[in-house]
Amino acid sequence: MAKSTLKKITGKQSMENQNAIAYVFLLPWLAGFLTFVVYPFFKTIYNTFYQITPEANTLKYTFNLLTQGGNYGTAFRNVYFFPQLIDFVVMEITYVPTIIIVAFILALLLNTGHKGQGVFRVIFFFPVIIMSGPVAGILRYNGAGDFFDYLDNIVFRMILSYSPDLAEALMGLFQNFTMVLWFTGIPIILFINALQKINVNLYEAAKIDGATNWQILWKIKVPIVRSTAFLTAIFTIVQLGTFALNPVYGLIQNTIYGLGPGIGLASTFAFLYSLAVFLLVGIAYLLLGRPEKVKTVSLSSIQKANLEAVAARRTALQNKKKGVSA
Amino acid sequence: MKTLTQKLQSFLQAVAKRFAVWKEYYRTHRARIHAMVGKIASYVFLITISYVFLYPIMKMISISFMTSADLVNPEIVWLPKSITLTNYDVAWRVLNGKVSLTNSIKYTSLLALLQTVISALTGFAFARYEFFGKKTLFTILLFSFIIPVPILLITQYNMFNEFYRAINWTGIGKGLNTYQSQIIMAAFGQGVNSAILILIFVNFFKMIPADLYEAGKIDGANPVQLFWHITIRLSLSTIVVVFLFSFVWNWNETYVTNFLVGDGIELFTNQLGKFDSLFNTRASTSPYAGREVQLVESFKMAATVVSIIPLLIIYFVGQKSFVQGIEKTGITGE
Repeated sequence: MAKSTLKKITGKQSMENQNAIAYVFLLPWLAGFLTFVVYPFFKTIYNTFYQITPEANTLKYTFNLLTQGGNYGTAFRNVYFFPQLIDFVVMEITYVPTIIIVAFILALLLNTGHKGQGVFRVIFFFPVIIMSGPVAGILRYNGAGDFFDYLDNIVFRMILSYSPDLAEALMGLFQNFTMVLWFTGIPIILFINALQKINVNLYEAAKIDGATNWQILWKIKVPIVRSTAFLTAIFTIVQLGTFALNPVYGLIQNTIYGLGPGIGLASTFAFLYSLAVFLLVGIAYLLLGRPEKVKTVSLSSIQKANLEAVAARRTALQNKKKGVSA
Repeated sequence: MKTLTQKLQSFLQAVAKRFAVWKEYYRTHRARIHAMVGKIASYVFLITISYVFLYPIMKMISISFMTSADLVNPEIVWLPKSITLTNYDVAWRVLNGKVSLTNSIKYTSLLALLQTVISALTGFAFARYEFFGKKTLFTILLFSFIIPVPILLITQYNMFNEFYRAINWTGIGKGLNTYQSQIIMAAFGQGVNSAILILIFVNFFKMIPADLYEAGKIDGANPVQLFWHITIRLSLSTIVVVFLFSFVWNWNETYVTNFLVGDGIELFTNQLGKFDSLFNTRASTSPYAGREVQLVESFKMAATVVSIIPLLIIYFVGQKSFVQGIEKTGITGE
């Protein structure tokens, strides 16, 4: 009796059972995933080849890819879509690196063990909780988003009189700087967590070898948090996208309810937009996500000579000891 | 004259002496001084950044108490001359506060509850069992996080539309224009940011020692009992974290809601998004209509303050859990 129970626990039979049990637990999620993620994903891509018109109770699909490029042609000719998509990509490209760098600096400052850092952490995480599309929109468009009056600032006026372009770029940065900061909440936590996981012995070893704090930062901390930076980048790319103020989202929604090409065109917009997002994630992967190559250390001639000298001294010492004991 | 130069000389000497003392002090206490300066600089920087973080919120709160006279007065920056609560009254009326707040709390809690339960089940399967296709499924789960919402939403909308028509479930309080579609999706584990919630559970459940399950098995517990008596009992704090995150994300979610619910139900955050159009239709019926018309901005700010109050309460109660939750995703360092 006892033997059979033991067999049940450890034996092959239990592995087969595991499959069934695991799938029972997974069932709701898996069914939902297939119905609401996998099927819609491919169905929407399929939609892009058709002109879809709602009829009494169903949707009527008419293949239209070959007439003037179908929905894709319409998308390329659309006055709003591509400018908005490019705006979105430019926003991602400028925001994501800024967010990562700012979050990393703040994480370094919050990881020094000084007093009161919990308070700052609470403040920096706060926007994550309240940031919804409408709230961010209202704060941004009603002047509360910009945190000081540039036009009254004498430095800003000087810049404006010399180079309006630079002033405009600065204004854009300052206007959105609060928004940029508001996306750093989760990245800061991820970076702090990664920094805390670094083995303290590494710092000590580096210090004994005469490394400065600056060198420790560049040679130890930055390489180690690189994988975290990749995850942060993906997270930020997605977050900036789902941000309801994203103009492409609004366009897609309006196209669906609009007359004319309707669902087919909206699907095409959504598909092209998704491609842009995947492309950005791919770029992030190329820059940050690839596993680092193992570097072979090549010694300089002086180092080699030193090592040889040390080895020679060691053997000499050993010989001496042997001689003494003999 | 001579005395004056002498005086000057002695003064200079004294200064030089003082300076030498300081220099000596600096030489001996170098590390300490550097640390001190660094500390002060980092605090100054952090406080400045905090100011930038909180500026919009502080500004919003301050504007929400201003009368229209204060709002256009350039001398008033932060503190209004006379505090008024009219803004809040109007905002509450425009947002139809009583109804929309109740709706929001009710539906958001329901969604969060469903999401938590399904995520826990899924997380348990991934953390506890070795099954066929586990790695593939897990990779797909993570990948699903980066799929943009619209590409799924268009077909989801059509599916629900057809489904409700097929079962003859249309009209007021049925089908689209209600919360039912979102509840169905949440019940199948496809709510807002589901992948992250599942990930939090998977990483926490993995930390529960396998010995406990072995012991339970030997005592004759079936998988459901193992799940309930060991996993759930041990991870109450994680469940709270996931529930809070889910609540906050569902509360702030407007795009999917706009698509699948539309104007059918008055929800707080959605109403806030349509404040301008609502204001034109609803404010005219308020008792303040006849009086001096205030600038819409202060009403809007008041409405925004009201809409984030529930989140503020949640944040200050469960502030630590949120941070821990993000740490528990465990995606750092691996």
